Amino acid sequence: MRILYLLFLGGGFSLMVANGFFGREFFGQRRRADLPPSVRQTPGAYRTFLHNNGFHGGK
Amino acid sequence: MSILASCPSCGAVLSFRPGTMVAVCTYCKALAARKDRDPELIGRVADLVETGSSLGLGASGTFAGRSFTLAGRVQLKHPLGGIWDEWYLALDDGRWGWLAEAQGRFYLTFTQDPHGALPAADSLQAGGLADLGPAGLWTVGEISEAAFHSAEGEIPWAVEPGATYRFADLSGRNGAFATLDYSEEPPLFFLGREIPLADLHIQGGTRKPAKVGVQNLNCPKCGGALALRAPDQTQRVGCPSCGSLLSTENGKLAFLKSLKQPHREVVIPLGTEGVLNGEKVICIGQLRRSCTVDGIAYPWTEYLLLDAQHGFKWLVESEGHWSLAVALPPGEVPQARDGQKNLSALGANWRRFQDVEAVVEGVWGEFYWTVELGERVQVAEFIAPPRSLTRERQGHKGGGEEVNWSLSTYLDPEAVWTAFKLKDAPPAPRGIASFQPNPHKVTLSKSALWVVGALGLLLALVMVESATHRNEELFKQRLDLYELAPGLRKEAAEAVRKGIPVRRPNAPGSPVAPAAETQEPVYFSGPIEIKNGRRNLAVTLSAPVNNSWIGLEGALVSETTGVAELFLLESSFYHGVDGGESWAEGGQASTVFLSAVPAGTYVLRLAPQWDGRFPPVGVIEVQLRQGVMRWLYPGLALLAILVVPLILVIQVAAFEGRRWQESMYGTAATASGGDD
Repeated sequence: MRILYLLFLGGGFSLMVANGFFGREFFGQRRRADLPPSVRQTPGAYRTFLHNNGFHGGK
Repeated sequence: MSILASCPSCGAVLSFRPGTMVAVCTYCKALAARKDRDPELIGRVADLVETGSSLGLGASGTFAGRSFTLAGRVQLKHPLGGIWDEWYLALDDGRWGWLAEAQGRFYLTFTQDPHGALPAADSLQAGGLADLGPAGLWTVGEISEAAFHSAEGEIPWAVEPGATYRFADLSGRNGAFATLDYSEEPPLFFLGREIPLADLHIQGGTRKPAKVGVQNLNCPKCGGALALRAPDQTQRVGCPSCGSLLSTENGKLAFLKSLKQPHREVVIPLGTEGVLNGEKVICIGQLRRSCTVDGIAYPWTEYLLLDAQHGFKWLVESEGHWSLAVALPPGEVPQARDGQKNLSALGANWRRFQDVEAVVEGVWGEFYWTVELGERVQVAEFIAPPRSLTRERQGHKGGGEEVNWSLSTYLDPEAVWTAFKLKDAPPAPRGIASFQPNPHKVTLSKSALWVVGALGLLLALVMVESATHRNEELFKQRLDLYELAPGLRKEAAEAVRKGIPVRRPNAPGSPVAPAAETQEPVYFSGPIEIKNGRRNLAVTLSAPVNNSWIGLEGALVSETTGVAELFLLESSFYHGVDGGESWAEGGQASTVFLSAVPAGTYVLRLAPQWDGRFPPVGVIEVQLRQGVMRWLYPGLALLAILVVPLILVIQVAAFEGRRWQESMYGTAATASGGDD
């Protein structure tokens, strides 16, 4: 029971510290994506790229 | 100053102090009453029974600064067979004190003039209260009758051979003790307290050395060897070899009857020595008792332990559960009425568990009272785990009754095995004992420190977060959906001309619309500077939707790294009336939280989504904030802190539920009673 309690405490406080002090979020409809290097290397190209490639958030 | 006189029987010298009513001749055992002239012979006394008293006639001592002499002794016989000594202290100020000695305890009392009428004997009940007026309320420990057996020395009251005396022993708090003597009318009142013998500083006298060690005898029925460890106090012996019940008279055993007893199942043999709670004890008796509830017999075994320093104790075993019981003065426990469920005593609150009739089924070894097979006592048990208070009410033959309270403490079976060096391991206890400590409660208590510490840490973290999360607004923009998709404006105008109702927004300032050549409305923000890479982000969509919804696909794109945080938002609000009751669901604003991103310059790409050809609203508002306090995570931490204690609380409650299922005063019993 003690180990179980320590696991719970560790988990709960880890989530809180990660969110409060490092800005991490663990819930919600979101994801991170890397744009292709060619797009990244061309200023402003991401606008057209995102639009033309149907980058739809969260799906 | 004593007066000397001659014994009316043998002529030997008799001494009469002031206050002496009767003197016993040392030579001929004549009982001589003091008269104006010569003493009058009123009978002869029997030989004194060896009670193992450490006191002797002529001994001197001090009490409350006054010296005294032990001038006389009377032996009285209890209806249950025991004999106790009453010593008479002649104080140097002319007063007399009564020092009663029973089962190793001493009670010193003095005669008192009662302030008002004393209660009649018939109005008293063992275990009840006696109202002595200004002397207060007392607990009646026993109301019974004592028979004169023998005497020696000088007696300050008019004893008579063969006479009986009705009395009531009263007990008060902190060892207070009183006796009402109904041998005279009005009754005599003696007031005092239980006193350690050492407090009287008694020295000298003609006492005989107490018997030490074992008295080896043989059973008069089977010849089996019997070793008596408390021969001075033993009244009955159950022969473990043949099952005979024997009496002890003047150091000899006499056969009384053969007992039909159950098979002896004991784990501590007679004569086994052990050290229990740091005190040396020896097992001298084994008693099998049982009670019957709803037709089911519940037996248990009691081991009588002799503690040379503190008297008798009981070690009780039931279903593998063990406890140690010691006697309590009745005055230490307030009166418990029939059916009274709670009791406050000994600094604790006790809850009534059961009322049963206990019956003696087996007797092996030696006992300090005239125990019999079938002996019945009414037992009321109050519990405050790991202890229980037990009241035993026992009627006497020929009238009278007594109440005895005992305090039991639950023992770990391993402690018993260790104390008596028993072989093998103790059998696992079965079920839950009435006053077994709740093991989960101990665990819960231990976890309390963790809970308090974790709550303190949580509070500190929340305070720090509250101070550091400023909810900083990075971007806020109202978007006209018709401006984002210019083709919609024209189509909407067409639809109006055709009579199709379309919600038309006011024309706001036109934002950037790089995708004007397509029909999909997309908005790109200007550069957004994010300076802190360790704070979360929150995107909020607000739209005045009404029984409709609007979505927002978004991306927060880093202009330097090209990393895009993609998200989805939806503002959906529906309401109506169904079956006469109004309802609503969703809301006109929603927020999505994004993890912190590295400091740098970012652009928001926003693409509204909706059902149908035209948007349900003309304008939406989008806001981007950083460093937003999230109560979800402290909530999760709080849950993590409380989840195990909650589990323990459930376990504690489940254990208590199982315990009280066995009680006639438990919730189950109450519930079933309520159903009736």
